[in-house]
Formats: sequence, C-alpha cells, structure tokens
Amino acid sequence: MKFLIEDVTVYFPYDHIYPEQYCYMIELKRTLDAKGHCLLEMPTGTGKTIALLSLITSYCLSKPQSPMKLIYCTRTVHEMEKTLAELKILHNYQIKHLGPQARILAIGLSSRKNLCVNPTVVAAENRDSVDAGCRKLTASWVRALASENPDVAMCEFFENYEKAASAAVLPPGVYTLQELRAFGKEKGWCPYFLARHMVQFANVVVYSYQYLLDPKVAGIISKEMQKESVVVFDEAHNIDNVCIEALSVSVRRKTLEGATWNLSRISQEIDRFKATDASILRAEYNRLVEGLALRGNLPITDNWLSNPALPDDILKEAVPGNIRRAEHFLHVLRRLVQYLSGRLDTENVEKESPVGFVASLSSHAGIDQKTLKFCYDRLHSLMLTLEITDTDEFLHIQTICDFATLVGTYGRGFSIIIEPFDERMPHIPDPVLQLSCHDASLAIKPVFDRFQSVLITSGTLSPIDLYPRLLNFHPVVSRSFTMSLTRDCICPMVLTRGSDQLPVSTKFDMRSDPGVVRNYGKLLLEMVSVVPDGIVCFFVSYSYMDGIINTWNDSGILKLVFIETQDVVETTLALDNYRRACDSGRGAVFFSVARGKVAEGIDFDRHYGRLVIMIGVPFQYTLSKILLARLEYLRDTFQIKEGDFLTFDALRQAAQCVGRVIRSKADYGMMIFADKRYSRHDKRSKLPSWILSHLQDANLNLSTDMALHIAREFLKKMAQPYDKTGSSDKKTLLSQEELEKLGDGSMHEMSY
Amino acid sequence: MNNGAGRRINGAAEEDDDEDDVNGDLDAWERTYTDERSWESLQEDESGMLRPIDNQALYHSQYRRRLRSLSSTAARIQKGLIRYLYIVIDLSRAASEMDFRPSRIAVIAKHVETFIREFFYQNPLSQVGIVTIKDGVAHCLTDIGGSPESHINALMKKLECSGDSSLQNALDLVDGYLNQIPSYGHREVLILYSALSTCDPGDIMDTIQKCRKSKIRCSVIGLAAEMFICKHLCQETGGTYSVALDESHFKELILEHAPPPPAIAEFAVANLIKMGFPQRAAEGSISICSCHKEAKVGAGYTCPRCKARACELPTECCVCGLTLVSSPHLARSYHHLFPIAPFDEVTSSHLNNPNCKLQRNCFGCQQSLLDPGNKPGPAVVCPKCKRMRPADMHQLLLVTTLL
Repeated sequence: MKFLIEDVTVYFPYDHIYPEQYCYMIELKRTLDAKGHCLLEMPTGTGKTIALLSLITSYCLSKPQSPMKLIYCTRTVHEMEKTLAELKILHNYQIKHLGPQARILAIGLSSRKNLCVNPTVVAAENRDSVDAGCRKLTASWVRALASENPDVAMCEFFENYEKAASAAVLPPGVYTLQELRAFGKEKGWCPYFLARHMVQFANVVVYSYQYLLDPKVAGIISKEMQKESVVVFDEAHNIDNVCIEALSVSVRRKTLEGATWNLSRISQEIDRFKATDASILRAEYNRLVEGLALRGNLPITDNWLSNPALPDDILKEAVPGNIRRAEHFLHVLRRLVQYLSGRLDTENVEKESPVGFVASLSSHAGIDQKTLKFCYDRLHSLMLTLEITDTDEFLHIQTICDFATLVGTYGRGFSIIIEPFDERMPHIPDPVLQLSCHDASLAIKPVFDRFQSVLITSGTLSPIDLYPRLLNFHPVVSRSFTMSLTRDCICPMVLTRGSDQLPVSTKFDMRSDPGVVRNYGKLLLEMVSVVPDGIVCFFVSYSYMDGIINTWNDSGILKLVFIETQDVVETTLALDNYRRACDSGRGAVFFSVARGKVAEGIDFDRHYGRLVIMIGVPFQYTLSKILLARLEYLRDTFQIKEGDFLTFDALRQAAQCVGRVIRSKADYGMMIFADKRYSRHDKRSKLPSWILSHLQDANLNLSTDMALHIAREFLKKMAQPYDKTGSSDKKTLLSQEELEKLGDGSMHEMSY
Repeated sequence: MNNGAGRRINGAAEEDDDEDDVNGDLDAWERTYTDERSWESLQEDESGMLRPIDNQALYHSQYRRRLRSLSSTAARIQKGLIRYLYIVIDLSRAASEMDFRPSRIAVIAKHVETFIREFFYQNPLSQVGIVTIKDGVAHCLTDIGGSPESHINALMKKLECSGDSSLQNALDLVDGYLNQIPSYGHREVLILYSALSTCDPGDIMDTIQKCRKSKIRCSVIGLAAEMFICKHLCQETGGTYSVALDESHFKELILEHAPPPPAIAEFAVANLIKMGFPQRAAEGSISICSCHKEAKVGAGYTCPRCKARACELPTECCVCGLTLVSSPHLARSYHHLFPIAPFDEVTSSHLNNPNCKLQRNCFGCQQSLLDPGNKPGPAVVCPKCKRMRPADMHQLLLVTTLL
C-alpha cells in the first residue's frame, strides 16, 4: 500500500499496517525533516525494521536531489540478513509501483569470514586467521613477488577483481551476504573487496555496529560516508556497552609474554631487512618525518588507517623523533612492556587515572605522552614496512599499542585498574591490567557529529531519558510506543513469595538461603506442570545458576532441562535439542543467563517459549572495580546516581530477557519476574511501557500458587481462536482507506 | 474480556488459603472454598459492583464463527456420512487433576457418553471405537462398532488414571486399526488430551505423516493449554484443535464433532455400498440371536440375505457381513447434505425502533425477544419468511433439527 505522511509518499509493501508503525513513521519523518537525532522505542514483533526501511527509502525517493544514504547498523549477521531480506521485499514493491527510477543499491557488509569465497582462506576457524589468510594472498608485496615468481600463491578472486578494476561494479539491487557471495563466485570477483568498494556508492548499507563505533575499523570502512547519511542503530539498548567495549583494553600476563615474543620477531625482521634492503627502512623514516597523514595513498589492501576518535591534529603532526627509527621504536615498546609487567606484579588492587599513569610511566620508563599517542600508528606503519602478513600472530603487541595510544590520548573518562586476581577466585593469581572506558559518549561522538541524523531504536529503551545523558547528545524526538493488541497476549507477573509465603529474592544476603532456593525450584516445577512446550528460565549469573542447579539436583527436583554454558558449540547443541523437544511435544526447560548470548540474540517465539521466568534482578557484579569506577565517573560527570544506573541496567537486561518470548502479535507468552524487589515502584517503573501496560495491579505481589492459577487461566484463554484484525473499536490492522481516514484525523489533532 | 480484573483478591484472605494448601489438612468447608475459588467467577464492573463473569460476548463470537463455517460450507460440499471414528481418551496422570469438577476424567467420561449417543443419533451409519492411553501405552478399550451402550459401559468401568501419556503410541494403534476399514468409510480420530506433554518412543513427526498418508483426520480437544504438537497434528491431517475453557465449553466442543465434517477432496470418491433393510420380526417369535448367541423372544430384525437375527439397528450382519440399516437412519444422515440457510442478525437498535413493525415475540416459541431487563437480546430473522427468532433458537435449529 502507499500513503502520504505529510509531503512524503510512503511505499509500504504490505496491505495492512499496524497503527503503531504509522506513528513510528510520523516521528521518523519529523526527525529527518529536523535533521536531528532521535530515540524511539517500539516493542519487538511490531515490524520496526520494515517501518524504518520503508519510510527512509521513501523519503529518499521523494527528495531525489539530496545524496541521502541509509546506514543501518545491526548487532549480528543474522539480523543483517533479516534486514536485507525485508528490504528486498520493499524494493520489489517500490519498483513495481515506481518503475526503474526506484532502483537502489543496497548491500550488506561483513567481515572476510562471512564474505570470502576462496575455499582455502575461509576454512580457517576464526575471524583473525581468515583476515590474515586473506592478507597473505592479497597484500601488495605478495602480489609483487608473485608476478616474478609463479609459485607464490595468490587469490584468483582478488586478481580478477583487480583486473576488472573500475568495471567491477554491482548492478543496482538488494544484495544479502549470500547473494554477494554468489555474485562474486559467478563473476570470479572477490565479494569482500567488491562490497567494500561499493559501500561508497550504495544507497543502503547494512553492517555491524563495530564498523561505525570501533575506531580501529571505522576509519577504513566509514570514512567515505556523506554527512547527509541517516544512521540507524537497531536493537540499540546496549549501545553504551558497545561503545565502552570499543575503547577498553585489558592486558594480561599472556598478552605481555606474547608481546615480548612479537617484539623479538620484529627485531629479527628488522635485522634481516637491514642486511638485505636498508633502503626500505630509510624510506619509511622519511615518510614518517613528513607525517602520518601522507600514508593514505597506499593500495586498499594495505590500508590500515586510523582512529576517527583521535583528534585530527594527530594525523597531521609528524611522528616524534624518538620513535621514527624502527630500532628506537622497538626499544620504547620493550620498555613499555617491561614497565607493564612490573605493574602487574603488584599484590593489591590499584586504581589510577590515565594522567597519573602517564606521569609514572614517564618517570620510570622515560616514555612521554606524545610518544604513547603515536604507538598504534607507528606499529602499523612498521608492520607494513616489514611486510608482515600473518597479522593474527601479532595481536598481542597490537593490544599493547592500542593501550598506549588510548592512555596517551584521553585524560578523562578512563581509568586504569590493576587486579592481582579475580575477586571471585582469590586463590588463583591472574593479574590483569585494564584500561576501562567509562564514557560511552567518547566512541559515539564522532558519529553524532559527522552524520545528519542518527536514529537509535530498540524494543527496550526504557527509561528513555537516560540514553541521551549516557551518550551525551540531544535528540529531537524521543518516544516510546506501545503495542496495539487484539487480545492481551502477554501476561507479566511479579512473583514475590514462594509457596510457603516466604519472600524470594536473589539479594546477596538471601540468595544462598535453602528456603529461597527451594522456593525457586518449586516455582519452576509447578510451572512445568501447567505450561506446555517450552519454558525459558533466566538466572542472574553463571555462578548462581550452577549453584542453584546443583542444589536442585541434590534435592532431586529436576527433569528434562537444557543449560546454556559459556561454550558456544555446547550451547548451540543444547538449543537445538531444546527446539526438538518442544517440537515433538516432549516439552523442555532452557536455563540461561541474563546478559548471556542467548538472552541477547536467540528468539524463543511461539511454542519455543510459552513462559519465561526471570529469577532475580540481573544487577551487575557491584563489587567489580571497573563498575565502581564507571559509576563514580557517571555521578561526577553526568549527575546520574549510582542506584539509578544500576537499576536501569538491570531492568533493561530483564526486559530484554523476557522480551524474547514475544516476536509477533499472533504469539502469546507469560513472563514471571521472580524476585520481591520487582514489586517496588522504582524498579518496576523502569520496565518498558509495553510490558507495564499489561502488568495488572493484581499481578504485582503473587505467590507461587496464585501465579500457577493465573497461568492456567491465561493459557486456556489464549488457546481460543480469535479474530486477527481486531474488533471495530480497537483496530490493530489498518488498511489503506482506514489509514487515510486516520491521517486526516491525526492531521487535525496536530494542528491544535 | 477482562477476567483479570475479577482476580483482584483480598490479600489477607488469600494468604490464609495458601497456608492451608501447604498444611494439607483442611476442613471440609475450607476445602470447598480453596478448590472452587468461587470468588473468581465474579468480576468488577465499571462502577465497582460485583457481578458474574459475562461470557456472553465469548459465546456470541463462537456463534458467529459457527455461522461463518456453515455459510462457507453452504455450497454443495461432500460430506462423509459413513464415519469410522476412534475416540482416544488420555488417562494419564494429568487426567486426574481437579481443575474440572469433580475431576477431569469424570467430566470427560460424562461428556463422552453424551457425545457417543449424539454421534449415533446424527450418524446412524457410522461406527465408533475407544482407545485409552495410560502409563505411556495405548490400549484398545472397545473395537469399532455401532452400539453406543457397549462403548459406554466399557468406558465407565475403566477410569483410573496414571502414568504419562504418549500421543505417538495412540496414533500408531489407531492407524493400524483404521487401515483395515473399507475405502468408502471416513477415518477419523478424536483425541481428548489432558496431558501437556507426550513421551514417545520414536519420532512423532513420522507418525503424523503416516496418519496423513492414510487419510486419517485427527482432531484434538485439549483440557489444559495449547500444545504445539497437537496443533501441528491437526493442521497436517485436516482436523480441528480446540482447548476447553470450562465444562460447558468442553461439552460444546466435543459435540461440534458430532455432525459429519466435509470430506477430504481427493478422498471423496462416490461409491456404491450394498445395504440391507431388514424386517422387524413378529412379536413372540423365538429365534437365536446372532449377536449375543442366545435365544430371544420377539423384537429382532431379520437379515434379508441370510435370515439371521440381529438385536438392534444399524449393525453389520454377523453371518453374511451385510450392512443392516433402516430407512429413517438413511434419512437422518441425508439431512447433513442440505443445511438450513444462515439467518440474518437483527441489530438491537433496529428492535428498539418503535417505527419498525417487527414482531416482538419469537415466531417459534412465542416468547418475548426482549431480555428480562427489557433490553433486546440478540435476535435473528429467517431470510425466507422474515420471521424473528432469538439467536439461541437459531442455534438450536442448526444443531438439533433434522429438517
């Protein structure tokens, strides 16, 4: 269907639209008009993605003169594929209505691991080795060598791509990763480099968060994007954590050992070069004198480029004299590694600010701040000069240089924490030095500055006013939408008491109480007897899950269960079997951990999750030094109270967990928050509004047997057939005519 | 439907109950309250008054749905008149639960009895068998046959519940039996399922495909909640899946299976069947009955081909295997092919309109169309003669009359 929103004709590929999708589009349209940033919360299962895509592409179509571009960031490859598939449907629809002028180029960009078609390279097990494998075949010096010596292996796909040169373009259309690979295979062009090349021409680019947020890769991929681009962060409820992770580094003993080894290899290489071809090193030296910025015209495969998070002047400045010579740079790095390992030998937990750290570093090891700042770029320059291709071997020294650059660059928003052992296992010495970033706005600031509109959207962004403060920006629109439902298909409950009326909680002083553990066990057991098919049960942490399962096992109240572990393969297998058990009618329980992989990425829709039990409030480990440091920083800088942030963080995790069960409006599911703390207003009110609106007052303070009864009634009610379009007064699906009527009405309202 | 609001419970009272639940030693008067939860059949209206839960809307929507399904079948549709139906009753542990009064199994048994009688009344040419699931094993309680009494008697004797339930075992067993029946008969299974899981020896998906291949129509009525596997089974084999809300709803659901379903298209080949119309023997004549193997006096039927005596109709002759029916049976089956047309609904505003010269009383029963509160209830009008009847009456006509 197509309809008008203000002055934009929106092409929507389906015959019906949900009212909330319509409102969502209106808000989006306003954001784009205002050229500002926005925050929108809309529950999952309401077709957020398609609403976004269809409005933005339609907006571009209506303004053909503007070079607007959509950059869509997803968290996982799976989501990327889903988004592209939706876009494809939309694109076909637009072509059908508008003809060839609606043609756009949309591509997904991912790592080599997902895009490579060379069978020998892609066989490697992890991402870094695929990258290194690719470099071994495509680096410029390897290819130069190969032109003389036919025995040197090259990648035929890349060669073909290079040969085709400017002729290597993708015809307009929507390409999923799969299709990109197929296209590359068919033409014999390397899909990865093709995609990277096409990014600057594409109208829609779908890729992962890292490409924009992680300074290490953002430079390569995203520097070509125009200012007019619209950036969308989907499922962005954890965006602050992503930002922080992108700028945090941790150094362990292993890293240092690896770095020492790397250094000795580099020095061997240097000696070898000195013996054979000293001119290369001299050329590098000269280049460095002129400044790093001039390095930009290297061929794309060798291009490493830099931090957009770094101040611009760094790129223009010349590298300080004491690290221009390769040997001198190695000495500096050696001293740095030595100093770090000396610091790691400490017996106590230490916390320091970057400024203090740099000061002590310069007094003990004689390395000043400016030198530190350049480590990252200097190392890469050196590695290019030395023609090192197996970059995955050199991760350790890269980590060290990363660390050095960050310490040298930022004085605020970071802290350095040295812990001699893990808090939870004080007997095993495992010293770790962490440079942790506290300020999520540092990594995302360039994105906000650079692009005209940034949209942050997710199913759970409540409380919505906290995000602008955390990320330090000013949205023009921030709104939260609820779901219009034909029936009350979600049933959240807060369970505060066990069957023996004793309160249940995972509060620290109560969690190991056998009574509480028994009550949780009983709750699960009774729920299993009334809920068919799949049940998902989330715990606050792995250690608590292990503990409670052991206790249950000893008291013999377990049955068919599957457990998420930290091992990915094992978890996948467990999930697979869990699905099978649900399919075959056996029924099963899946134990998982909030903040785990399952809670973030796996859907338990339909019969795979009729009930989700959230045992406890998933607070972060509050004694962790990093968290404490971050909280302190937040309080001092953004005036966010510790308690507020902790609750916010815990509740968004909880909402994320329970949101796994509802993925569409036809679905139904129950959610049990099993902790007495959920009944307090300050906690509860931070849940997203689409859950809150279904949380009845009567269900706020339940005991096990009351919850059981409600569950029974709910399941029976939901099993009844129902009318999908909703009754006349509560329309949940709008056809074109109804929408037009609504459009007139809402215009009217808005003019008031 | 905001039944949830009705669940607003006085916290203190509830706590008492719960403690008692735990202690397990309740007085009889207490038990009636904890078991029945009579407060839950009340709900609060807008002004805070308590009133019984209003299921009117629900029933009305069900009525509409039935009408719709009827109107969609109003076109010439083939119906399987000769049905071979197995009723599978789940006697697992879950069937002994007490959420239906007095227990699930008692309710099931009671309504299966009504169903079997109703079934034979509407489908005199069809036959029924009963299978039970208990301890994960399926048993054939009665072989397929045409006598309601024998099925009911057999069922009433075996109502103990225990163990797990296995859908696959039951389907395998039924599939084995139904494969033997003649090709003109329609194979159906009605599963009354109490459990919420199934413990199967093998892959149930294979069994479902097998049922589908042998054209067995499987329908399930659940007593607790919707199960994926049951839904899948019904979808695959063309049956219906429903879940009972309470006892009366259960009764309604099970009786919906009494009228013959539309025939599966590819299976609906027209067939000629040989039948005999036996004569009723003269009063006082003595003969040896072929079904009970004993001498009986009077009131029997004589097979027109081999002259053997049968006690009741319809049946199959024990000697020559001829299907014995009487002509009223045929006529009764026949009416399913021509259902009465759906009536038009009359809106209440229409009824209240004083200018409108519609009658205020039902044409059939002469009762007022207005509810006791002088509010007009739902009414319908016959499209042919334009006479009004209340909506319930139309339902009655649809379900029971053999016009």
